[in-house]
Amino acid sequence: MQSPPVQLSVRNIRKSFSGKAGEIAVLDDLSFGINERDFVSIIGPSGCGKTTIFNIIAGLLEPDSGTMQYRGTEIESLRGRVGYMMQKDLLFPWRTVLGNVLLGLETRGIDRAEAEGKAREYLKGFGLSGFENAYPNTLSGGMRQRVALIRTLIMDPDILLLDEPFSALDYQTRLYLEGVLKDAVETYNKTVILVTHDIDEAVALSKRVIVLSGRPARVKIVHDIDLSATSPITARSDTRFSGYFHALCAELDIQTEKTA
Amino acid sequence: MPDATPLPKRKPRAARRRPHFNTPLGRATLQALAVVGFFALWELGVRMGWISAFLVGSPFGIFAVGYKMIASGELLSDTWFTLFEAILGFVIGTIVGSLMGLALWYSVFVARLVEPFIVAINSVPKIALAPIVVLWFGTGLVSKVALSVSLTAIVALIAAYQAAKDADVDLQSLLISMGADKHQVFFKAVVPSTLPSIIATFRINIGFGLVGAVVGEFISSQRGLGHLIYTASSLYDLNTVWVGLFTLMIMGFVLYYVIDMIERTSLPWKQSNTAHQVQV
Repeated sequence: MQSPPVQLSVRNIRKSFSGKAGEIAVLDDLSFGINERDFVSIIGPSGCGKTTIFNIIAGLLEPDSGTMQYRGTEIESLRGRVGYMMQKDLLFPWRTVLGNVLLGLETRGIDRAEAEGKAREYLKGFGLSGFENAYPNTLSGGMRQRVALIRTLIMDPDILLLDEPFSALDYQTRLYLEGVLKDAVETYNKTVILVTHDIDEAVALSKRVIVLSGRPARVKIVHDIDLSATSPITARSDTRFSGYFHALCAELDIQTEKTA
Repeated sequence: MPDATPLPKRKPRAARRRPHFNTPLGRATLQALAVVGFFALWELGVRMGWISAFLVGSPFGIFAVGYKMIASGELLSDTWFTLFEAILGFVIGTIVGSLMGLALWYSVFVARLVEPFIVAINSVPKIALAPIVVLWFGTGLVSKVALSVSLTAIVALIAAYQAAKDADVDLQSLLISMGADKHQVFFKAVVPSTLPSIIATFRINIGFGLVGAVVGEFISSQRGLGHLIYTASSLYDLNTVWVGLFTLMIMGFVLYYVIDMIERTSLPWKQSNTAHQVQV
């Protein structure tokens, strides 16, 4: 099987921050590639700089050195072209559900009526009809994160950057939203980079998993996940699931078997 | 083993019921009784010769003067005059101050540059400016409004600037990742998130607006409640002084509730749920 073309390639990115204890190197010569329609999870020890990678791709931070290429062209960042979703849903509390969904389209200066029509269509598709005029503080955590997902998807971003989007939710809601995400990604043909702490989630959703080393972060290994399951829940009952799970745990130096 | 915290014992239902007075009507009744009692004691004290009517006035005297001044239209005209000055000063001061405070968000350099000057201006008791303000702006309306503005603008400026600095960085980052420019970040994220703080200054500033108006009238004027109080007290006409003071009190009271209403209706997304109050 021929591997699909590379959509985004990150080359030799270095980034350090100056702290109290002097310079702290967070990313050290980090390189990886993301294919067209890829679903890549990035896992690694806490504080290894996963969010920093996203901030650099999204154009919120500048790397000290290194380059990025998008479909073969050198780029500064993907600002305005990414859909960034974080652990906090970051809904604007003073905007209604509809207002929040419209945020990105407003920023682009798209005609109000057209944008609203599109927003209502998306809200309907995600089962949020009737909540258009509700304020975020009246919604449950799962609903809020669903609104955030719609806000991200409606902009038709080239790449979704998901930074532990479900980690603040309870397990059932998380499973449900993983399914919603997977379906949406299939429907809208999106490329996804997911940062997660949850190895289980990474295996159930991804085509590939990038394991990072501790700070300064480098790519330790890339695992291909070959589960043909249609949903994240059925993926978990695949016989190969636990094999991947344990392999990734081992990469992260987590003891999964008693050794005595 | 140390004693465990004793668990609250179940009280009989009757004992747990709230007292009858703790209802809106009950509270209003108690409040009215307190006011009536206060004036009755005052009047009694004056009649019995415990306190001097010459120095403190008397409720019946106040009532008589008040009635006469309402009938002549004098009180109403003074009230409107002072109210107009206060509200004009409040509105101008709040708008100018808030805009300046928000504008400082645009440039960290300018903000750091002017910060000590803002602190210095804020630390001057603005009332001390009153004589100069009268010199500059005359004895009419403008000097009172100017004094009110000097009091209210700085409060609004500091609140708006602080709130703009504290605006959620993640919301701003999200907008930037969507491709928003600085103006869009300002209008979509910064300004809305400062509104609660700016509106919270209304409560303090409406009071400062009144202070500016009244003090301005003390210094020099021909009209207004401040003028009324000042001239009456120099004539030892305490009843008239009290009429002015009570009118100011009522004015402040009404303005407070107007502001309260504005606060509640202008931020529908901030509706707090009073049902969540903890009962101790």
